[in-house]
Amino acid sequence: MVSTQRIDAYVSQALVSLAILSALGIGFIFSKSASALPLFARQTGQSCLACHAGGQFPELTPYGRLFKLTGYTQGVRTDIPLAVMAVASYAKVSSYNGSDSSGVDFPRDGTANITTASVFCCGKITDNIGVFAQYTHDLWASQDASGSWQEHSHIDQVDIRYSDRFIDESHDFIYGLSLNNNPGVTDVWNTHNSAFAPVSSYVPAGNAIFSSSALPHDVPATPILEGLQYSAGLSGYFYLNNALYAEVGTYKASTSGLSFLHDAGVGGPGALSTRLSGSFNPYLRLAANHDWNANSLMLGIHALHASVFDDATLINSNSYSTFNDIGMDGQYQYLLDPHALTLLFSFTHENQNYSGYQHTANSFNPSDTLNYLRAKITYVFRARYGASLAYTQAQGSSDLGIYGASPAANTQANLSFNHSPDSKLWVPEVFVMPVQNIRVGLQYFKWSQFLGGHTYTYYSGLGTPSSRDASDNNLAFLYVWLAY
Amino acid sequence: MKQFSLILLSSLLIAGCSNLDRSRDLANQNVRPEVTARQLCSDCHGVDGNSVSPNFPKLAGQQEEYLVKQLQSFRHGDRASEQSYQYMWGMTATLTDEQIKGLAHYYNQHVIKLSLSKETDRILLAKGKEIFENGIPAKQSPACKLCHGAVGEGMATIPRIAGQHAAYLVRQLVIFQENAGRPGTPMESVTHGLSAAEMDSVASYLQALGV
Ligand code: HEC
Ligand code: HEC
Repeated sequence: MVSTQRIDAYVSQALVSLAILSALGIGFIFSKSASALPLFARQTGQSCLACHAGGQFPELTPYGRLFKLTGYTQGVRTDIPLAVMAVASYAKVSSYNGSDSSGVDFPRDGTANITTASVFCCGKITDNIGVFAQYTHDLWASQDASGSWQEHSHIDQVDIRYSDRFIDESHDFIYGLSLNNNPGVTDVWNTHNSAFAPVSSYVPAGNAIFSSSALPHDVPATPILEGLQYSAGLSGYFYLNNALYAEVGTYKASTSGLSFLHDAGVGGPGALSTRLSGSFNPYLRLAANHDWNANSLMLGIHALHASVFDDATLINSNSYSTFNDIGMDGQYQYLLDPHALTLLFSFTHENQNYSGYQHTANSFNPSDTLNYLRAKITYVFRARYGASLAYTQAQGSSDLGIYGASPAANTQANLSFNHSPDSKLWVPEVFVMPVQNIRVGLQYFKWSQFLGGHTYTYYSGLGTPSSRDASDNNLAFLYVWLAY
Repeated sequence: MKQFSLILLSSLLIAGCSNLDRSRDLANQNVRPEVTARQLCSDCHGVDGNSVSPNFPKLAGQQEEYLVKQLQSFRHGDRASEQSYQYMWGMTATLTDEQIKGLAHYYNQHVIKLSLSKETDRILLAKGKEIFENGIPAKQSPACKLCHGAVGEGMATIPRIAGQHAAYLVRQLVIFQENAGRPGTPMESVTHGLSAAEMDSVASYLQALGV
C-alpha cells in the first residue's frame, strides 16, 4: 500500500514539474525557433499549424494532406529522424457504484500518471520514400496477479510510403503505395479509423484508469475497421487534381517477415490482427474533395471486408467469421489564420456473419449488425486556444450471447439488460497550447447510454453482479501533451 | 533471403534514387526551380501561383524583383511576421540566390486570375477605389497608385496588389501598421492612419481589380 502511495506521490510530482518545466523552460527557449519541433516540422521548417488545423493534432490541413500523400518527402532530410511525445494525465471517474473493491476496479483513478511516451522515427528517406513509424511505451499497460503494474513497449502506428507526383498547369496526379499496420492509418482526413482517433486522441489505454477494459473509456462495440491495428497491410492510392482520392488495400495477419508491424503484448495471440484469414481482406476508400476560398469539403465512402479465424488455436481449421463494413464520412474545414474550424463525421454499417463454431460458442444469433457513428467539431483560435465537442454512438442488433451472457467466474464484465450494444458518448473538451508542442486539455466523457440503457449490470473483479448507471462512468480527464 | 533483399533494395533506394524531375527536396540545389514550385510551393500557392485559399498570397504575375526580395528576406529572417516564420522561413532556409531567381521568374511568367469575389457592397468598393486613387488627404495617407501603379500592377520591388486576396492584403496592412515583422518600408507610414474599415474597403477593391 505504502509503496503505491509513494509511487503516486512521485508521479504527481513528476507531472507537476513536467508541466511547469514545459510551460516555462521549453516554451521560452523554443517559442520562435522552427528547428526544435517534432520531426515533420523540422523537415519542412514550418510550424505545426501548416499541416495541422489550428496547429492541433490530428486534423490535417489541405497542405498537411498533400504532405502525407506525397509520402512525407517534402523538405530537407533530417539528420536525426527522431521525435518524442509524452502524455501525462489525471482522470476522475464519476462514481464507484457497484464496485465491491474500488482499489481493484479503479486503480489509477484520481491520481496523476505519466501515461504513455512514444518515439517517432519519421521522415523523408529518398525523393519518393518516406516513413511514419511510432514506437510507444505504456507505463501502466497491465497489472499482474499480485496487482503490480507492468510496463510495455510496442510498435504503434506504421506507414511506410512510396509516392510520386505528376503535376503541371493542367493536371495534378499523385499516386503511391503504403506498407502499414492499420487500415485507415493511411487516410488523410482522419475520419473513419481510430489510428488518429478524432474523439479521444489523448485518452490513454483504459487500463491506466480502470483495471480492465471492462470499464468503459470508449463505446464498447466498434466495427472491425477500428480493431485491426498491428495487422499487415499493403495499399495503393491516387489523388487527382485535389478532387478525387481512391485507395485500395489488403490486410493479413502480421506474421513471419511482417511481424515487425505486430505487437505481441497488446495484440498478442488471440488478437484480431493475428487471426485474419489469408491475405485478401480488402480495404477500399473513395473521397471527393473540393477546396474554395478558405473552405475545404470532403465526402467519402470506406469499406472493409475481413475474415477472422474464430480462435487462435483454430487457425488451421476452416472456421472463420466474416465482417463487412461499409460507411460514409465527411469533413468540412474553414482555415483562415487566426481561425481554424473542423467538422467531421463518419458512419459505418457492419454485418457480422458468424461461423457455426462462433455461433454455437459465443453469439446467440447467426449474424448481427452494428451501426457506428462518430462526429466532432473543433475550433482553434490563433493556434493556441481550442475547444471541441465529440460524439460517438453505437447501435446494433441485440444478441444475448455477446452483450448479455454471464461471464466466467471472477472476470470483470458489463452486461446489457436488453442484450443491446447501444451506447452514446459525448466528449466536450477545452485546451490551450502555450507553445506549439505543448498542449494542456480537459475532457469530460459523458455517457447518455451504455449497453442499451441508462443502467447495466457490472461484474466486478470479485465476481459480484450489481447495477451501475451509464453516467457512473462519466469521466473528467486532464492531460498534458508534449512533443519534441 | 527475404530480409537480405529488403536491405539491398532499401540501400539502393537510399543511395541512388534522386528524382530531379519530380523532387520535393529543398536541400538539393540541382532541383530546378519550376520543379520545386510545382511539387512543393503549389501545395499552398497553387501550381500557377493562383492560390485557392486567401490564407496564402497569389504569386502569379507578381513583380520578379519583389519576389526575389521577399524570398531573400524570409531566408534571412528579416520578414518576420507570424505567418512568415510559421510558413515561409523553413521553405526558404536552404534556397540559393540562383533558385530564388528561378522561382521568382516562374511566378512572374504566370497570369493572375481573379477570385470570385462575394463582395457586392458598392459603397465599400467605391470607398476603396477612392483610397486607391486619391488616398486620404485628411490623414496624410498617399494614394496607393502613386507607388503601386495606375492599376495596382506594381513595379520592381513594389508589389502587384491588384487581384490579390483581400484577406491577405488586410493582414499585411495590419502588419505594416503595427510594425509586426515587415520593417523599413514606406508602408508603415502609409498605413499609419488607416482604420480597419478603410483597410477592408481598399482590400476588397483591390481583390476585384482586374488587369
Ligand atoms: C504551407 C504553405 C506554404 C508553402 C508550402 C509555401 N508558402 Fe509561400 N507563403 C505562405 C504564407 C502563409 C505566406 C504569407 C506569409 C506572411 O503573411 O508573411 C507566404 C508568402 C510567400 C511569398 C510572399 C508573397 C508576397 O506577396 O509578399 C512568397 C514570394 C512565397 N510565399 C513563395 C513561396 C515559395 C517559392 C514556396 C516554395 C519554395 C512557398 N512559398 C511555399 C505559405 C506557403
Ligand atoms: C510610397 C510608396 C507606397 C505607397 C504610397 C503605397 N505603397 Fe504599398 N508598398 C510599397 C512598397 C515599397 C511595398 C513593399 C514592401 C516590402 O518590400 O516589404 C509595399 C507593399 C504593400 C503590400 C504588401 C503586398 C504583399 O504582397 O505582401 C500591400 C498590401 C500594400 N503595399 C498596399 C498598399 C495600399 C493599400 C496602399 C494605399 C493605401 C499602398 N500600399 C500605398 C510602397 C507603397
